[in-house]
Formats: sequence, C-alpha cells, structure tokens
Amino acid sequence: MVEIAVLLKQVPDTNAKIVVVNGRVDESAIASWVTSPYDEYAFEAALQHIEAAGGSITAITLGPARADKVLKDAAALGVTKLVRIWQDDWQDLDSNQVQAALANAVTAAGVDLVYCGKQSADRNQGSTGPGIAEILGAACVSEVSESDSAGSYLRPTASGSERVTVSSPAVVTFTKTQNELRRPNVRGIMMAKRAQIEVVGGDVSASQVNFNGHSSPAQKPPGKTYEGSESVPEVVGLLRDEAKVL
Amino acid sequence: MDITIIAETQGDNLHPVTNQLVGAATSLGASPTILCAGGAGADTAAGIAGVGKVLSVIGDCFSTFDGGAWAAAFDAAAGTGVIIGAASAQGRDVAARIAARRGIPVVQDVVAISQGLTMTHPIYSGKAMQEVTVGDDCVVTLRSNTFPPAGDGGNAESATVQQSGDVKIAVQEAIAKASARLDVSDADIIISGGRGMGSPDNFEHLYALSDKLGAAVGASRAAVDTWDEIPHSMQVGQTGKTVNPSLYIAVGISGAIQHLAGMRTSKYIVAINKDPEAPIFKVADYGIVSTWEEALPILGDEIAKIL
Amino acid sequence: MVYEALDFYDLDSQLTDEEIMVRDMVRDWVEDEVLPKIEKACSDGVFPDEWRVALGEMGVLGAPLEGYGCPGLSYVAYGVICRELERGDSGLRSFASVQGSLAMYPIWDFGSEEQKNKYLPKMATGDLIGCFGLTEPDYGSNPGDMITKAEDKGDHYLLNGAKMWITNGTNSDLAVVWAKLDGVIRGFIVETGDEGYSAPEMTGKHSLKASVTSELVFQDCKIPKDRILPGVEGLKGPFSCLNNARYGISWGVIGAAQACFNSAREYSLSRIQFDHPIAAYQLVQNKLAWMLREITKGQLLALELGRKKDNGSWIPEHISLAKMNNVDIALQIAREARDIHGANGILDEYCIMRHMANLESVKTYEGTHDIHNLIIGRHITGIQSFTRSI
Ligand SMILES: Cc1cc2nc3c(=O)[nH]c(=O)nc-3n(C[C@H](O)[C@H](O)[C@H](O)COP(=O)(O)OP(=O)(O)OC[C@H]3O[C@@H](n4cnc5c(N)ncnc54)[C@H](O)[C@@H]3O)c2cc1C
Ligand SMILES: Cc1cc2nc3c(=O)[nH]c(=O)nc-3n(C[C@H](O)[C@H](O)[C@H](O)COP(=O)(O)OP(=O)(O)OC[C@H]3O[C@@H](n4cnc5c(N)ncnc54)[C@H](O)[C@@H]3O)c2cc1C
Repeated sequence: MVEIAVLLKQVPDTNAKIVVVNGRVDESAIASWVTSPYDEYAFEAALQHIEAAGGSITAITLGPARADKVLKDAAALGVTKLVRIWQDDWQDLDSNQVQAALANAVTAAGVDLVYCGKQSADRNQGSTGPGIAEILGAACVSEVSESDSAGSYLRPTASGSERVTVSSPAVVTFTKTQNELRRPNVRGIMMAKRAQIEVVGGDVSASQVNFNGHSSPAQKPPGKTYEGSESVPEVVGLLRDEAKVL
Repeated sequence: MDITIIAETQGDNLHPVTNQLVGAATSLGASPTILCAGGAGADTAAGIAGVGKVLSVIGDCFSTFDGGAWAAAFDAAAGTGVIIGAASAQGRDVAARIAARRGIPVVQDVVAISQGLTMTHPIYSGKAMQEVTVGDDCVVTLRSNTFPPAGDGGNAESATVQQSGDVKIAVQEAIAKASARLDVSDADIIISGGRGMGSPDNFEHLYALSDKLGAAVGASRAAVDTWDEIPHSMQVGQTGKTVNPSLYIAVGISGAIQHLAGMRTSKYIVAINKDPEAPIFKVADYGIVSTWEEALPILGDEIAKIL
Repeated sequence: MVYEALDFYDLDSQLTDEEIMVRDMVRDWVEDEVLPKIEKACSDGVFPDEWRVALGEMGVLGAPLEGYGCPGLSYVAYGVICRELERGDSGLRSFASVQGSLAMYPIWDFGSEEQKNKYLPKMATGDLIGCFGLTEPDYGSNPGDMITKAEDKGDHYLLNGAKMWITNGTNSDLAVVWAKLDGVIRGFIVETGDEGYSAPEMTGKHSLKASVTSELVFQDCKIPKDRILPGVEGLKGPFSCLNNARYGISWGVIGAAQACFNSAREYSLSRIQFDHPIAAYQLVQNKLAWMLREITKGQLLALELGRKKDNGSWIPEHISLAKMNNVDIALQIAREARDIHGANGILDEYCIMRHMANLESVKTYEGTHDIHNLIIGRHITGIQSFTRSI
C-alpha cells in the first residue's frame, strides 16, 4: 500500500501563443488551459504505482478556481482526494511561497511519496519538487523517465542514466516517460462531475522576489544564406552565441 | 558582493560550463569561491581566471548524487551571499534545496544577470522572458552557453573542508548512455536528411552528428519513400511528424511545402543544400550553400570543439 | 499540426465542464487512433474492430440514454461526440449513430424490461453491435410501403423479406427490424444465428468506405415471441429513432466541415502560386469566409437544437432543418475545400475527398435532403407533397 500525492499545475496549452501586454503575459488571451505535461507523466506513474501496489492518490493543485479543471481531469481517472490551494489575495507567488503552500498540503495529506513534473510548462523553473523535499526533510529523485511499483526510478546522469531506489518519504519529479497517458471514459467524467474539491488557503511569508516584468524574447534576425562549406564555423558560432541553441 | 559557485562536474572532472559561471560572477565584480563536490575538478577550477578560492568539499555523500545530502554539505561549506550553479538537472536540484534550507529566493535558468541583483530567465519555454530582482542572499542557476567563459591563467588558493549529508538515494544500476535513437517528436535538436543524401548509407554521417548533439535524425518523405532503410517513423512533414525543436538541421532537403508543414515552427532552422535556389533557404535562419559531403565533416569538428 | 477546430463564436465556451471533458476525450482519441488509420480502413473497406472496442471503453455508445449501463449524457454532449467522431470520418460517426440512436434507442424506449436488461448493457460497452433495418430495395424514402412482413405462428414469429443499405449489418449481433404484422409496422429483434436470417455485405461503395453496409435477408426467419418490441406500433417507431440519429448528424457533419475548412486554410496559406500564398487572393479568401460563415451558422443551429432536445421543446421539423442544412453546407464546404487544394485535393493524403464522398451518403441517408424539404414544406403549408396522383 502506498499513499501518493500528485502535484498538478494548470498552465496555458503549450501550443498557445504567449503575448506580452504592458510588461505582463496576457493570461486573459489564453483560450485553453491544460495540466502541465510533465505533471501528467507524474500522474500516470502514480496511477500505475497504486494499481500495482494498492493505496491511493491525493491530487493537489495550487491556483485560482479555473485550476479545478486539472483536478476534475484527475477525478475522471479515479482520484477522489482533490485539494486546491488558493487564497484570493494571492497573486504571483514566488518559488519559496509555492513550495511552502504545497508542502503544507502534502503534509496534511499524509503521504509516502510526492510525484510531480520536473518543471512546469509556464515558469520552467524546476524548483518545486526539490524545494518541497527540502521542507519535508525528504529525498528527491529528479527528472525520472521510468518508474516501477517496487520504488525504483531511472534518472539521468552525465554519462547516461542510473536506476535508483529511495527511502520514503520522498519526492520524485518526472520528465517524459514511455508511458502512454490514459484517457478518461464517460463513467469517469460523470464521477468527476460529483467529485468534491477541498479548497484550502494558507499562510505564506512575504515574497522576497521583486517582479519587474515580462518581455517578449528578442526577435531572431532575418534568415541569412552563407556561401560554401567554409562558412560552417561561422554558422556554428552563431548557433551558439546568437541563437543560443547549442 | 560575495559569490559562491558550485562547480559543475562531469565524473572527476570539471565541466566547462563552470568557466561560464565564473565569467558571470566576475562580470558582477566578484572574485568567487568555487565549491567542488568531493574535490572533483578542484585543480582545474583553481586555474580559472578570476577565481578567489577553491574549496574542496569532502564527504561520503559525494559518491552518489543526492540533492538533499549535497545541498546540506554545500550549505554548511558556503558563506552567505549569492550562490551560483549551472542550470543542469543536478544543478537545479541542489540550488532549489539550498534556497529552501536557507529560506532565500532561487531563480533558475538565468540568461542575463546584473548588479542589483536583477535577472532574466525564459518562461513558457522561451516564448517570453521574466525579469526579477532579489536581494544579495539568493541562489541562482545559469543557463549554459549564455555567459562568456572566464579564461585560464588563474591561480586561486585551495582548501579542503569536511562536510556531508544523509544520503537517502541508493544506486542500483548505472546505465551507459542509451544507444537507442531518439524519436524526432522527443528531440530538442533534429538533423534531417533528404534525397540529396544520395544513399541511405550516407545517413550514417547524420547519426554520427546526432550522437554528438544528443539529437534525433529525421528524413524527408523522398528519403523515406526511396529507401527502405529509412522508416516512416523518421518522416517529418505533413504526412509525417510535426516537430518543434530548438534547432532543425535540414541536409539535402529541398524544402517542399509538405516538408515545411512539419518543421517550420522550429525555433532555428539550418539548411545545407548545394542548390542556392532551394526553397528551404527561404525558411532557414542559417543557410549554407554547399554539398553535405563538404559541409558535414566541418560541422562535426566545429560542434565537437564547443560541446 | 495541432488541430484547432473552427469555433468563430466560441460556442464551445457554452459547454459544461463535463461536455468539454467528453469532447477532449473523443477528440484526442480520434487524433491518436483514427486519423492515422482511416485511409487504410477506407482502402481496405473495413471498420477496424479496435474502434468498436475503444468506443465501448470510452463509454460513448448510446450517449443520451439513461440506465441499463448507458451513459446518460446530455443531448448536447451526444452532439459533441458526433461532431468529434465525424471530424475523423462519417463512417465512424455512422457506426456510433446506428448503435446508439437506431439500435439501442428503440430497445430502450419501446423494449420490454427483459429486452432492455438483456441487450442494453452489452451494447453500451460495444460487446454487442446492433443495426437498424428499415430501408428496402424498393422502399427508401417511403418506408411506410415496406414489404417485409411478420406472421404470428403461435409460438414464434416468421419473418420474410429483405432490407438493404443497412449500416453495421454484417458486423452486428442483433438487428432491429421493422416489418408489417397484420399490416401494422412493428419492431423485431433478430439475432445473428437466427434460423433463416443472413446479412451479406454490400461492396463497391465509393462513399463511407470504412463503414460496413449490408443487406438483411429473411427467408422464413423464425424468431421467438419475446423478440417483438412491445411499446410501439406504426411508423412512429422507426421515426423516433431517426429523429435522434438525424439530430446527431446535424452535429456530426459540422466536424467533417471543420476538418475540411482547417485543411483548406492551412493549404491556402502554404501554397504559393504567382509569388504569393493563394490565401492572399480575394477569390480564395471569399471561399474561406463563406465556409466560416456557414460553419458558424450550422454550429448555432446544432447547439440550439441540442438545447431543445435537452429541454424537450423540439419538434421533428426542427431536426429536419438542422440535418438538411448542415449536411448541405458540409458537402459544399468539402467541395470548395477540394477546389482550394487543387490537384492535391484528390489525394488520400488530405481528408477532403474522403469527407466529400462520405457526405454524399449522409445527404441521402436518414431522410434525403429533399425529403426534409418536404417535411418543412408540409409544416409551413399544412399540405403534404410526398405523394400525389398523376
Ligand atoms: C500530399 C503530399 C504529402 C507529402 N508529405 C510529405 C511529408 O510529410 N514530408 C516530406 O518531406 N515530404 C512530403 N511530401 C513530398 C514533398 O512534396 C517533396 O517531394 C519531398 O519533401 C522532397 O524531399 P527532398 O527534399 O528530400 O527531395 P528533393 O526535393 O529531391 O530535394 C533534394 C535536395 O537535395 C539537394 N542535394 C542534392 N545533392 C546534394 C548534396 N550532395 N549536398 C547537398 N544537397 C544536395 C538538392 O539540391 C535538392 O534541393 C508530400 C507530398 C504530397 C503531395
Ligand atoms: C451508406 C448508407 C447507409 C445506410 N444505412 C441505413 C441503415 O442503417 N438502415 C436503413 O434502414 N437504411 C439505411 N440507408 C438507406 C437510406 O436511409 C436510404 O437510402 C434513404 O432513405 C433514401 O432512400 P433511397 O436510397 O431508396 O432513395 P429514394 O427514396 O429512391 O430517393 C431517390 C431520390 O428521389 C427523391 N425523392 C423521393 N421521394 C420524393 C418525393 N416525394 N418528392 C421529391 N423527391 C423525392 C429523393 O430525395 C432522392 O433524391 C443507408 C443508405 C446509405 C447510402
């Protein structure tokens, strides 16, 4: 038996166009919100884990009312313990505040394991999993691409990858796995309709991060054509220094 | 400003990104202290220009990566001020934990930093940038190949401290880099070959390059249709896969609209084609008019130099 | 390329959370499992059995029916399901329409308690497949004159006659067959394996190729007495089924039209002729604008009709209007889209020609376009013009 908390964040559809208006990403222009993709792999791993080992999942999200959707989606796949953390006076929580709020909910849920994505598709920071682990005094295995119900996890190393085990409680952050994400069915969706979401607030300390603004990424220069193979070193240099893709 | 750098290591050696971390630190006017996990790369670190001090942190925990244990050891070894690491998987893990231990802010994957401490980092996978300011006690990880590396010729003093932490992770099995080929839908860099490759055997040149880059190899439909050795799963385009990598390198591909339909949203496109009129050059950010026979060997060498 | 369904007025924002979840479930499935396989299914002329299994697993069969293992979704949700399925292929939607509206529905509405318990739960999971036998070789638009007849033989019924154009026929485990008993149209459940019953497949279709179409042949076909549907007599039986299926079609064809529009838009933006994308030319924009206009109107019609189905304020003529209009515009949109694609439009690499050919069937089945005109004409004038003496 294993009790797992899965952290699910609602983010703009990864195909959505991101526009910056007056120094801020215009969230009102985003038509479609989804569960952050790495979180979905974490969730699938958790579903497989409890199917094999028994136990249950608590799905936790932090966000305004629209984020109920990610919990409903989880409910459609059979999760009954659903927690949304929010307080109306919260705006942009910084990383430490997010970790603190989530760690509280995880503690309240009383779980052995916390599964989450290696980073969210909006902030791209990757601090949440390890940060929560630190608060909980737990280990954290990061960027896991394979897991099993015996509690072994495959994570990347400089020279390839390694399979590790970890003593619980532990936090595991997932990257993309080979698992196919399951679809709900109508029965699940009807259950989700009735699912109860527990909304909890919380105390978070003042933010230590000053938000200055968002901007659009630098426009890339117009395409250029270079003559002959002797131009290859120049192009590689540009790929590194201008495009920053190497 | 006091800056401590957590050296990025690769086995027992220093990873070259460490020079970039030092470069960023010195640009802020600091003469940073470098912490080397288990002493790995300490000698090299001492030779980086601008480094104030190299501290080898020696402890049992450094035989296995456990972000919690490492963070505990580094936290004890590092002074107050700014802590800088690399935005690698391990670097971010340790950074987040040190920040949580100390109750100070953490900003990951930073691409610009200035006094104040004001930093910019990409959000929404680079579709926007965020600028924040934090106090002088913070943890920061820097994106690789973004900051100019500090050169050699330094001669910093070196010291050793004993610090460790509880290791809760046990390695069962180490697995060498997977030789299995990446799928084009998963890769951040894709090298695709077209009919211009001349024969399926010549795709070996693309595979060799892809191994260096951690890239996937794709193909045009003409290549897939002509050669049995090139499976449909590699096909990029309207009737193949739609891909969206950071870098797409099209080799010997003319750039028919059906091909473009599958890759035109790539962040950067490089085209190698011998025909200056090939339509692929219209969408390429960097076009190279050359045969692949001439261009690919040089490309391989140049990439080996910088990675 | 990511599929963005045209929804100019953002009508999907009026859907409930659960309707959205159902939409996304079906849309993802179509994207992942149907689109990559549909061309092969068409060229092989088969309905892949895995689609039956998946529809059952998703739980969308008999969507608006309640109880007996049925999903009990709203009619709007049922419409959305049809739309997403038909964006894949009209044959796929036909399978679901026939199973849900034409085979499950009459058992659910007119069947005995035993019949409901016996068939419905397994039909909802796709374990049993049903078909609907109304049309005959000589009686299409006027089924009232059907020849197939049933005789009461004391301890059983004896069926004689033939049905034609029956979707799912050969694949089905049971057929809901409409036949005359003492001159009155009644519904009967015929099971595969019943003596004197066969369902040979019709071949050679240029349309709905991924859907199975069959003849049903009854030669002294003996069925037990408990297989008659006790709850209905006359044309009302088959017509109530058709009302539901036609309603589903009015949504479904919007999906096909959206797919054609999407492809035409993409294509016109990337196809360069005379130095510019053809989308930059006014004649092409006019076509695209017209498609958007008609799709948006069709969506409004379907959504409002769905609300009427859900609150019970509909009349059959409302359904005729939506079926007729939406199929008509979808077919025209497919043709315009084909034109925009130039020669590429005839290839199976694009969905266009397939949708276009499919929609020709959809225009005919479930009441031809003109029959629906006549239904509305009768509603306006009070004069039926289906038949007249010459
Ligand atoms: C409905 C439809 C769907 C399609 N779907 C796809 C699809 O999904 N993906 C796809 O790719 N195509 C697709 N196509 C095919 C597409 O139209 C092109 O035919 C195809 O992309 C051409 O492939 P290519 O560029 O490799 O070959 P070519 O067009 O033959 O181009 C080969 C190029 O190689 C260059 N070359 C030759 N020798 C050398 C050398 N030694 N060094 C450097 N360059 C050299 C030539 O200058 C030329 O530009 C589709 C077509 C249709 C009609
Ligand atoms: C692929 C496919 C699947 C089908 N599946 C089923 C099924 O599962 N079950 C089932 O029972 N049937 C099914 N049908 C049959 C379908 O319902 C009939 O084809 C339809 O009712 C029309 O009948 P018909 O083809 O005999 O055409 P007809 O009735 O002969 O009509 C031919 C033409 O005459 C016109 N017409 C007829 N009467 C009048 C009039 N009074 N005034 C003016 N115009 C008139 C029609 O509008 C049409 O244009 C299917 C058909 C197809 C093509």
